[in-house]
Amino acid sequence: MSLFGTTSGFGSGGTSMFGSTTTDNHNPMKDIEVTSSPDDSIGCLSFSPPTLPGNFLIAGSWANDVRCWEVQDSGQTIPKAQQMHTGPVLDVCWSDDGSKVFTASCDKTAKMWDLNSNQAIQIAQHDAPVKTIHWIKAPNYSCVMTGSWDKTLKFWDTRSSNPMMVLQLPERCYCADVIYPMAVVATAERGLIVYQLENQPSEFRRIESPLKHQHRCVAIFKDKQNKPTGFALGSIEGRVAIHYINPPNPAKDNFTFKCHRSNGTNTSAPQDIYAVNGIAFHPVHGTLATVGSDGRFSFWDKDARTKLKTSEQLDQPISACCFNHNGNIFAYASSYDWSKGHEFYNPQKKNYIFLRNAAEELKPRNKK
Amino acid sequence: MTICQFFLQGRCRFGDRCWNEHPGPRGAGGGRQQQPSGSNRRGWNTTNQRYSSVIQPSSFSKPTPWGGSRDQEKPSFATFDSGESASKNRGFGLSQNPFASPGSDDQKDDKKLLEGIVKDMEVWESSGQWMFSSYSPVKKKPNISGFTDISPEELRLEYHNFLTSNNLQSYLNSVQQLINQWRNRVNELKSLNTSTVIALDGVNQATPSFGFGNRQTVTFGSPGFPVNNSSSNSAQNFSFKPSPGFATAPSGSPPVFGNTPAFGAVPASSSAIAAATPTFGLRKPEITSAASFSFKTPAASGFGSSGFSGFSPSMAASPVGSPVAPAFGSGSSVAGFGSPGSQPHTAFSKSSSDTFGNSSIPTSLSFSLGSTSTDNALFTPKDQLTAEELEQFQSKKFALGKIPLKPPPVEFLNI
Repeated sequence: MSLFGTTSGFGSGGTSMFGSTTTDNHNPMKDIEVTSSPDDSIGCLSFSPPTLPGNFLIAGSWANDVRCWEVQDSGQTIPKAQQMHTGPVLDVCWSDDGSKVFTASCDKTAKMWDLNSNQAIQIAQHDAPVKTIHWIKAPNYSCVMTGSWDKTLKFWDTRSSNPMMVLQLPERCYCADVIYPMAVVATAERGLIVYQLENQPSEFRRIESPLKHQHRCVAIFKDKQNKPTGFALGSIEGRVAIHYINPPNPAKDNFTFKCHRSNGTNTSAPQDIYAVNGIAFHPVHGTLATVGSDGRFSFWDKDARTKLKTSEQLDQPISACCFNHNGNIFAYASSYDWSKGHEFYNPQKKNYIFLRNAAEELKPRNKK
Repeated sequence: MTICQFFLQGRCRFGDRCWNEHPGPRGAGGGRQQQPSGSNRRGWNTTNQRYSSVIQPSSFSKPTPWGGSRDQEKPSFATFDSGESASKNRGFGLSQNPFASPGSDDQKDDKKLLEGIVKDMEVWESSGQWMFSSYSPVKKKPNISGFTDISPEELRLEYHNFLTSNNLQSYLNSVQQLINQWRNRVNELKSLNTSTVIALDGVNQATPSFGFGNRQTVTFGSPGFPVNNSSSNSAQNFSFKPSPGFATAPSGSPPVFGNTPAFGAVPASSSAIAAATPTFGLRKPEITSAASFSFKTPAASGFGSSGFSGFSPSMAASPVGSPVAPAFGSGSSVAGFGSPGSQPHTAFSKSSSDTFGNSSIPTSLSFSLGSTSTDNALFTPKDQLTAEELEQFQSKKFALGKIPLKPPPVEFLNI
């Protein structure tokens, strides 16, 4: 029985796995492929912060591992190290000094991986898989924030096994983002909460979701003064909402746009609608990239409200994306995201991480 | 400033906000800014900034093809700024925005809302998008019941777990069930007979936290009752998610509705509604398996929220797998969206004290609860439960495949 009646496959659908001879569409954009990519779907990507010289990429996968590569300016990728969890890794993040990597997994724990010593210790515990993990660096404290499907948000000092603080969520945490002093958490059942992190994390506001369907990913953006001022929220319905926290004119400033849909016919009637799997903002230009289950990525300028570019379609969904600290590299992972259920899952299919030069393509459009 | 051409024609949408000049007091443009008709859309070739004012409300009913998503392949930019393409305009559409017409027809808005819902359901079905998602027709409204969020990761994790325990078949079964439930719900919403419409009206009044207005209860009286036929079952079973799980009883005879008006607001209204109050008799076992996505705690787990009429035929045979959802990634308590966790508990307890053998059940109601005391209808006495079910109720979480079909004994409730 198929999960979905239609077979709107990606390029070659789920069938041409064993070396398709005709068109190999796994890298239509001819981007750099990361060597020794994970064996199972990649759930999360993260580049090292600017405090670390060079670029290091971390990827967490459903093969329970977290891998680290050094990415050189030539584009060459060198696998550096790997750590294991006992369950699929759902989220990764770096500490601000670039010495530690935090990993969140379905095994209900989060670990801190010291890259220098290559040791990983558990720093967090939940009652259900940990879906998001972020490092918070405040003037008066630093901690790790973990969001889990057990409907709690916990803040951990890495030295203690008890959380510094536990905040209740209305529902399971699906995605989160942190740019000090703001944090946004999107939960199941269209819940959306903004936290302020000064002094200590506290709930700032609960927001009515601007989207009609399940939340999938969220990313905070900053204003011209480099202060976080709003966020982009993606749903499973091929739509992203741009929402400002305190806009001068909410009706005018907040908006949503459709993305990751097949054009079908010209009318909006029979379209294939894909989930937005990840959103990332370019650290310098402020433009954003979205990646979706349709196997494409797109670049957008939210201020000019235009699309900058859409890629060719890859043969697999793109499950995660990330910019490096200066915005020169855009990394995206091509692997199955379960958007069509288990029938389309092929464990033999190779998973890729691609790197693309993002310096030029994400320059904002000039407003008229 | 340039003179506004549309104002001269008497059809400027922006009225006072218009950036062009509206000469003199003549013309009828002013008040109509938010009620553009469909045909006007093509005429608006002004800059995007102006559209942005309508984007927010309209982005739901007429999804904005931002950046010319009509043709996603093209790397060229959307003719966003050019003002030539009609497609852009179509997007910035037009508001079927209930907020913009204050006081004007509630009915018209509701109608549009419903149309929007039907359309959304059609799109949802045909587009191949992820099915296990919550849904709400318009931003401010609460989620429509009957849809629960399961993220792809949660589903995949379940798959992996079942794979390792060699129990793939039950995973497949539960997934198939979830799919069926979803399809039924979508079809219900698509078909939109009058009772669903009335029930949905309640949505309009509902605030995210429990609000079922009196309207809701009143209208339930009318579609007649006892309700036995499946077509109107859909309405009755339309309880709203915000309320912490109340089982509804779609199957067959006694018409019992889980729609509890019981949150304090009701006593006032129920007097007015007297004979028509559909109370919360909750029928026994079979129901609980329906809609079982929000099992709160094992104790209160008997009450899944919102039964679907789609269930009624299959209700009796509803396989154990259906209450699978709560096990996905979430602990024992799944209910309570948006409202603080504690609230559902109190509401529930309130209603339980209200309903069970209480005075607000009008005697004029002709239904029978299947058993004499209301207690029995809602809870199973301990001796009627098998050992396995007892064990399930007592454990912290339901084990997949073993979720009891009967409501728990009253002793287990922690109120």
